Amino acid sequence: MQTALQLLFTALQIGSIYILFSLGLTLIFGVMKIVNFAHGQFFTLSALLVSVLVPWFAHHDVPLLPAYLLAAVIAVAVSVALGMLTYQFGFRFFQRDLSGSFILSIGLVLLLEGAYLHYFGGAVRTVPPIIAGDVSILGVTLTSQRLLLGLAAIVATGALYWILMVTQFGKAMRAVAIDHEAAMLQGIPFKRIAFQGFAVATLLGAVAGALLAPISVISPTLGADYLIKGFIAVIIGGLGSVPGAIIGSLFIALVESIGGFYFDPSIANLTIFILVMLVLMVRPHGLLGNR
Amino acid sequence: MHKIFHNQQVFLTLTLALLSLGSLFLRDAYSINLAIWMALAALCAASLRFVTLIGELNFAIAAFYGIGAYGAGAALTVYNIPFLPALLLGGVIAALVSLVFGYVTLKTKGPYFLLIGFAFTEVMRILYARSDWLGGNSGMVGIFPPSAFGSYFPFFAIGLCSVMILALYLIERSSFGKVLTAIRDNDNVVLSVGINVHMAKVVCFGIGSFVAGIGGSLHGFTNNVISPGDFGFLLSTFALAYLKVGGENSPFGPMLGAIVLLALGSVAMGMGAGEHIFYGAAIVIAVLLFPNGLVGIFSWGYKKLVLDVRSKGEALHESRPAAKPLHKKEQVNG
Repeated sequence: MQTALQLLFTALQIGSIYILFSLGLTLIFGVMKIVNFAHGQFFTLSALLVSVLVPWFAHHDVPLLPAYLLAAVIAVAVSVALGMLTYQFGFRFFQRDLSGSFILSIGLVLLLEGAYLHYFGGAVRTVPPIIAGDVSILGVTLTSQRLLLGLAAIVATGALYWILMVTQFGKAMRAVAIDHEAAMLQGIPFKRIAFQGFAVATLLGAVAGALLAPISVISPTLGADYLIKGFIAVIIGGLGSVPGAIIGSLFIALVESIGGFYFDPSIANLTIFILVMLVLMVRPHGLLGNR
Repeated sequence: MHKIFHNQQVFLTLTLALLSLGSLFLRDAYSINLAIWMALAALCAASLRFVTLIGELNFAIAAFYGIGAYGAGAALTVYNIPFLPALLLGGVIAALVSLVFGYVTLKTKGPYFLLIGFAFTEVMRILYARSDWLGGNSGMVGIFPPSAFGSYFPFFAIGLCSVMILALYLIERSSFGKVLTAIRDNDNVVLSVGINVHMAKVVCFGIGSFVAGIGGSLHGFTNNVISPGDFGFLLSTFALAYLKVGGENSPFGPMLGAIVLLALGSVAMGMGAGEHIFYGAAIVIAVLLFPNGLVGIFSWGYKKLVLDVRSKGEALHESRPAAKPLHKKEQVNG
C-alpha cells in the first residue's frame, strides 16, 4: 500500500511536467496542424536560463526564493520571445503544412541545440533546492519543493482549461482547431488566433522548463527526452485533444514510475512504446482524437 | 545534349556510373572515406524520398539503417556468416522488421506515422544498448570486409549504393510507382479502383527499409565499428536535411544534397563550427528560401539560360502559360 501510494505520487510529480509539456504540443497541433519538434528547445532554454540565473542572483546576495522567481520570469519571457521569433520568421508560412513545418522545426532543433551547447557548455547543471523540508501525506514523504512545483503545474493546467472552455479566445481557438475555414467564416481572425495559440503553447513549455529546473539535472539535451515522451503522450491521447494530452501524460508517468521501480527505466520505455503500438492498432487517431 | 538532359533515366544512370567510376581515382584515405559517406548519405536520402511517394515521412529510417548494420555485424562477427550473405542479411532483416512495423503503423497517417517512427528509432537504440550479445553500450567491433577486396571495397560500396538508388528510381517510374504517387495524391481514388492501398504502402515501406538496411550493412563494413549512438534520430534528421537541401521533387535531389552538404560540412568542421549548427542552419535556410532545393535552383537556372535563349529565336511563341506560374514562384522564393 505504502509503495503503491509512493509510486502514485511519483507518477503525479513526473506527470505534471509531462502534462504541461504535452499540452503545448497538442495546442500547437490543434490550432496550426503542425508538429513542432522545436517545442522541446523552448523548454530546454527556460530550464537552462533558470539554472544559470539562480546561482548568479544568489551570488549577488538575492535570497533564494525571490532569485528563483525572478529567474523563472526572465527565463520564461526569453523563451517565449524566441518562440515568437521562430513563429514570425518561420512557422507562420507553414501552417497546415505538416512536412514543411516538421522539417523546419527539426532544423531549428539542431540549430538551437548546437547554439545551447556552444553557449552553455555540455556539462549538466543543478539548481540549489529552493524550499527545504519534507511533507508527509497519507504516510508518504514528499519534499515540499516537489509538492509545490506539482501544484503549480496543476494550477497552470487548470488555468489553460479555463481559458479554453470559458473565454472567448479559448472558444475561438477550439473553433479554429475543429475547422479553421468555418471559423474564419464566423469572423474569427484565424491568423491572430494561430499566433496567440502558438504563444500560449510556448509559454506552457517554458513554464514547464522553469518548474523542472530545481528538481532535475539540466543539460542542453534535456529537451529531446521530454520531446519523445511528450509526443508519445499526445499520440496516445490523440493529437489536438487537450484531455487526451492529460490522460496520455499521466499514463506515461504511471508506466514510467512503476516500471522504473520494479524493473528499470529502459524497460519502462520499451513498455510505453509497445503500449503505443497497441493503442494505434485499435485507434489510429489516439484515444480521444477524431481525425 | 538536350535529349540526354531530358531523358532523366539515362542521365541518372550516367551520373551514377560516372560517380562510381570516379571513386576509383581517389587516392588519399580521407577523400575515399568522404566519398563512401556521401554515397551512404545519398542512399538514405533516396530511401527517405521513396517513402515520401506515398506521402509519409519515414522517420524510422535510422532504426532500419541500424537494424541493417547490426544484422550484418552480428551475422559476420557472432555467427561467422560470409561477407555477401551477411551484407544481404542486414537488408533482409531490416525489410522483415519493417513489414511488421509498417503493417501496424501504416494504418495511421501523417503526424502519427511520423512520430511513431521517431519513437521506434529510440526504442531500437535502447534495445541495442541492452543486448549484451550485440556489444551493449560500447557497440560491436571487428566488422571487416573480406581482404579479397583489397583497395576496391570503396568502389564496391559506392557502386552498390548507386545501383540501389537507380533501382529505387526505376521502381518509382514503374506502374507500381505510379500507384504509390496516386496514393499520396488521393488514396480513396486508388482504393476505389480495387487496389489494396494498405499493402501497397507496406510494400513501399519495406522496399525503402531494405535499401536502408543494406546501407546500414555497408556502414558497418566501412566503419568496422558500430555503436547504438550511431543510429539515433539524428541520422533520420540528417537524411532529411540531404533530401530537403537537394530537393525532394527530383531523383537527383538526394544525391546532390548529400554530396553538397557533406562536402560543405567537412569544410565547416575543419573550421571548427558545430555539426548541429551547420546542419540545422542548412535545413532552416533550405526550407525557408529554397523550397525546391538545389535541384530547383539548377532547373530554374537551366530554364532561364537555355530555354530563354532558344525561345528568343521564336519570339512569336514566347509566352508559355503553363510554365509561367512555376517561373514566378521560383523567382520569389529563390
